[in-house]
Amino acid sequence: MFGQFFQTIFQADFLFIIIRITAPILFAALAAVISEKAGVANIGLEGMMMITALFGFLFAYWTQSWVVGVLGAMLIGILLGLMMGFFSFKLKTDIILSGIAVNMLGTGGTIFLLYMFTGLRGNTGALVSPNILIPTIDIPLINKIPILGDMLSGHAILTYLAFIFVFVMRTFLYRTPLGLKIRAVGENPNAASSVGVSVIRMKYIAIAMSGALAGLGGAFMSMYYSQGWNQGMVAGRGFIALAAQAMGRGEPVGAMFSSVLFGLAQAMKTKVSGLRGMASYNYLIEMIPYVVTIIGLVFYAVSIKRKARRHQLRPIKEKLQ
Amino acid sequence: MRDKRMVLFGFVRGAAAIALALAVGTIFIFLSSDEPFTALKYLLIGPFVSFHGGVTAFNTQNFYQVLAAMIPTIFTGLAVCVMFSANQFNLAAEGCVLVGGFVGALVGIYVNMATGWHAVICVLAATVVCGLIMLIPSILKVKLGASEMVTSLMLNFVLLYIVLHFLNYHFADRSKGATMTYPFLDSAKISSIVPGNSKLTWGFVIALVISFVIWVFMYRTRWGYAIRMIGINESFSLYSGMNVGGTIVLSSVIGGMLSGMGGSLEVLGRYNTFVWRELPGYGWTGVTIAILAKNNPGLVPLAAFFLAYLNKGCQLMSTHSDVPSEMIDIIQAAIFLFFAAEQFLSGYRQKLVVKTTREELMKAESLKATEGE
Amino acid sequence: MEANEFVVRMEKITKIYPNGIAANRDVDFAIRKGEIHALIGENGAGKSTLMKILFGLEQPTDGTIYLNDERVTLSSPLEAISKGIGMVHQHFMLVPSLTVAENIVLGMAPTKGGLFIDYKEAVRLTREYSEKYNLFVEPDARVADIAVGMKQKVEILKALVRGAQVLILDEPTAVLTTQETVELFQELKNLKEQGFTIVFISHKLKEIKELTDRITIMRAGRSVGVYDTDTISEQEISRLMVGRDVVLRMDKPESVPGERVLCVEDLHYINEWDKKMLDGISFSVRQGEIVGIAGVEGNGQRELVDILFGLKVPDSGDAMIDGQSLIGLPQARIRTLGVSYVPEDRMTFGVAQTANIQENMVSDRFSQKRFNKGPLFNMKSLYDESDKLIMDYAVLCKSRSQEVGMLSGGNIQKVVVAREFSSDPILIIADQPTRGIDVGATELIRNKLVELSRAGAAVLLVSADLNEVMELSDNLIVMYNGQIAGYFDDGQWDDVMMGEYMLGLKRQSDEEIRRACHA
Repeated sequence: MFGQFFQTIFQADFLFIIIRITAPILFAALAAVISEKAGVANIGLEGMMMITALFGFLFAYWTQSWVVGVLGAMLIGILLGLMMGFFSFKLKTDIILSGIAVNMLGTGGTIFLLYMFTGLRGNTGALVSPNILIPTIDIPLINKIPILGDMLSGHAILTYLAFIFVFVMRTFLYRTPLGLKIRAVGENPNAASSVGVSVIRMKYIAIAMSGALAGLGGAFMSMYYSQGWNQGMVAGRGFIALAAQAMGRGEPVGAMFSSVLFGLAQAMKTKVSGLRGMASYNYLIEMIPYVVTIIGLVFYAVSIKRKARRHQLRPIKEKLQ
Repeated sequence: MRDKRMVLFGFVRGAAAIALALAVGTIFIFLSSDEPFTALKYLLIGPFVSFHGGVTAFNTQNFYQVLAAMIPTIFTGLAVCVMFSANQFNLAAEGCVLVGGFVGALVGIYVNMATGWHAVICVLAATVVCGLIMLIPSILKVKLGASEMVTSLMLNFVLLYIVLHFLNYHFADRSKGATMTYPFLDSAKISSIVPGNSKLTWGFVIALVISFVIWVFMYRTRWGYAIRMIGINESFSLYSGMNVGGTIVLSSVIGGMLSGMGGSLEVLGRYNTFVWRELPGYGWTGVTIAILAKNNPGLVPLAAFFLAYLNKGCQLMSTHSDVPSEMIDIIQAAIFLFFAAEQFLSGYRQKLVVKTTREELMKAESLKATEGE
Repeated sequence: MEANEFVVRMEKITKIYPNGIAANRDVDFAIRKGEIHALIGENGAGKSTLMKILFGLEQPTDGTIYLNDERVTLSSPLEAISKGIGMVHQHFMLVPSLTVAENIVLGMAPTKGGLFIDYKEAVRLTREYSEKYNLFVEPDARVADIAVGMKQKVEILKALVRGAQVLILDEPTAVLTTQETVELFQELKNLKEQGFTIVFISHKLKEIKELTDRITIMRAGRSVGVYDTDTISEQEISRLMVGRDVVLRMDKPESVPGERVLCVEDLHYINEWDKKMLDGISFSVRQGEIVGIAGVEGNGQRELVDILFGLKVPDSGDAMIDGQSLIGLPQARIRTLGVSYVPEDRMTFGVAQTANIQENMVSDRFSQKRFNKGPLFNMKSLYDESDKLIMDYAVLCKSRSQEVGMLSGGNIQKVVVAREFSSDPILIIADQPTRGIDVGATELIRNKLVELSRAGAAVLLVSADLNEVMELSDNLIVMYNGQIAGYFDDGQWDDVMMGEYMLGLKRQSDEEIRRACHA
């Protein structure tokens, strides 16, 4: 059984699947990173992805252009972010609660909106056509390399974008004035405002960017991954992204690694459930990413706690020596 | 004076939030429907009134169904109330409802017992198991400071897949097309309290009783008091000598127990076998209810009724018109946003405060003046 | 005297806060170009408010501000910064995870091509200013990793880079070690030579004498005089600073001290920035006496109280209640030993604001048998208890079910005090018990303290209000620099004498100080 197991794992197409599955989680995880950096916990990512997935698909369908679809999804994501911001920064709704509200809109509201705009119930299967799906690209040269080519080439444009965005995000946060201000606001709003940085504005910017990234994740889901929008499509990826952010210490690269970990676990599930003897463990395998998250969070919490304690005890230790 | 005005303000604000949310819903109905007035009619008064053959009459069955729908949500509402009161954003009520239902079902299928006690044991088993489950996020929070919000969200999925695993591979009735368990023994079923097919079971009565019990617990016992004080001001509670960590764990465990109880009462009352294949969503409804009830267990049945009514209205609207029932989520989200907004109508509040302060100052002045004479 | 020699002139500044406290009353304040000007006064004398107004953080209720003889309004810090005013806050306004250079250019970062931060330029800028003004910092170090002294330099550089000509330093030495203080003074003198104007807020007379040119002394929201530092003696400053209009002495029965209740032995505590906050404190408090701790804030009182109520653990030394050490005990245990505590920060530690009066009154005793019937509360006894306390302490409220947050400051404090004083404590720690509250409540709280001590409780009173400690204390400890500077048990003290001990001008012999232990 294990021989077969490893055979399955170490195949190019398995790695291909991992990358494909990771991409939407990664978009959402980056969305969580940017808002968290500004001190805003965006628990509404799940709903944001559902809504933007729907609108991305609809925009693409109406214009028969996947590009418009993706841009439309980002726009809707930005609007949702600004709406959350308005309620939380202006009307002082707890940010967690505005996030939950967006998730509500995501579960039922989308079905309503889908019906309102198209008369369809539950999914958009009837509207799918190839030209509104996000195209895949073969990377010249790389696609000629055995194994590596199969693994890295032939993904959707957005898949590459997700991984590129990790480094764009890192550059943005650490190398641009705006990124600097956003980090400062998240860490010490008083310090930021004492030099004239508008805290509220930075938070609005961060949550709007978070929405845009969630929009990319949503568009990826409906316009590539699921080939159409359906109700159970996002399946907790928004929540997983929150965990990936926390496990990745809130950094883009860290979030990428934890997202890949989730991608791996989900890919295993699809692969392993096809194997003889393993099939009846598919649900338990599906559970792995979530268990890993909890364990990851625990380790993270312990390390922070230990650091704090060491700091506090330092003078005593010096005394004892 | 000031307090009375603030209570009044609270009501006005709540009513305004609900009105605004319904207005948002109405706009969407007019945007999407060809028969908006029919849709609105069913949404707003459908749950109470039947319109058969042009005769309008009180619709008993619909009304019973509304009450029946309150059973699981009262429990999750109470659960969230207790946890939010301790300032714990623990969202695992969702998963606990599912597990509670599953455990209740298993005990109802596989444990043979004398009628009468069987159902009780089913519900108790579910209650205990879910209470234990809540030890996980709460102990991680108290001992290690791991965010209870993220762990509880993840826990929901873990619980879902554990249930699905056991449902599919250990307890499934293979003779059926769909995945479900064997039917519950009759002795485990929660029976109806009214004639008809409304599923208004004893669970409803229990839910009301438990609401009262939880109200008593929160406002009339030392543990509930500690939970509330910790939720308001943790530093203050610590300084007063309370056991903050233990109390936080207690509140979560109670939240889990309530969710488990609600889940099992719902499953054993509404179905013949265990059929849930995804998270039922009652946990999230519970959050809305807790917000509407302002964490007061006494108001939970009222809030649950309001939501159940709205939900039934939406269902009727979708059967009798072209508006889908998922409308409920839009209205609910809008209520949620406005209701929880501290600054919503804050200008009006400020005016009230200023007015009251002025009056109090004037009264003080006149008192001083009379004293001076 | 030519008017235009002043860079800053504030005239007839009055500030009344919304809660009715008048923090500044008709204050005139003027700074000459290129001087170091000391602003001195007791806590609550109005120094901070005045400087907040100058930095645009607060708007004056009345009065005018001139910068270089031009009348200005300063509606925000940003505006003040743009007009050449910089402030170094006592609590640093820095972002720990950013580097020194990033903190310095935050909000005005130099860019390459308008898009990316030119970090090299930021470092260069930091170096340039750092060298020009002799303020040594490491541009690439993360702020979280650098010492307090350097953090302060970063703050000064932040102001200088933004073009500050006038620097306000709010108690800059409070967080510094001796060595760091020496360095800072050298740097400030340097800046003065380069033409900068500095406002130096401090309590420490020696520092002021050493560093400053002129001095403005504030008391109770008013300016009581401007002097050339050379021409005024430390004694005179101290007298002006703490001097009182009326000398009140409370009529209180003679204290008959009994057994020792609290014994503090040789406490040492070094804070997280490696500053020695407690340096060998030993004293005891006996039954039936009020021991007052006087001192300018920041001389170790805060740490002492925190240790006594279980918030901090000392590096060495012990504190015992009736012979049992309370070091490291949780608050619940400390309370069962018979300690009660009136916290300085009443809104954080004293009350739960949105809970009602009754609930706040019983937070330390709600699990006692007399308030419970089996699993349930005995509501009647809870109500009786709170009604009795409301009555005894004259809490002005509509009913016991009114929210505490709706009460006035004085009444909130009465709620706290009613709870803490009514638990039959053998030791009461009262930390700033009457700060910021009205005269009526103050009077009541002081009377209750005396009453309780005469009934046998040991009372430790910590207060920055010199009047209060002098009036109430049977015996008095003055803290300075983490040590006891003097112990007085003869009741023969006056403000001038206290001022000298509080400000470090005088110190008793070790022999005399050791009497505080009553060993």
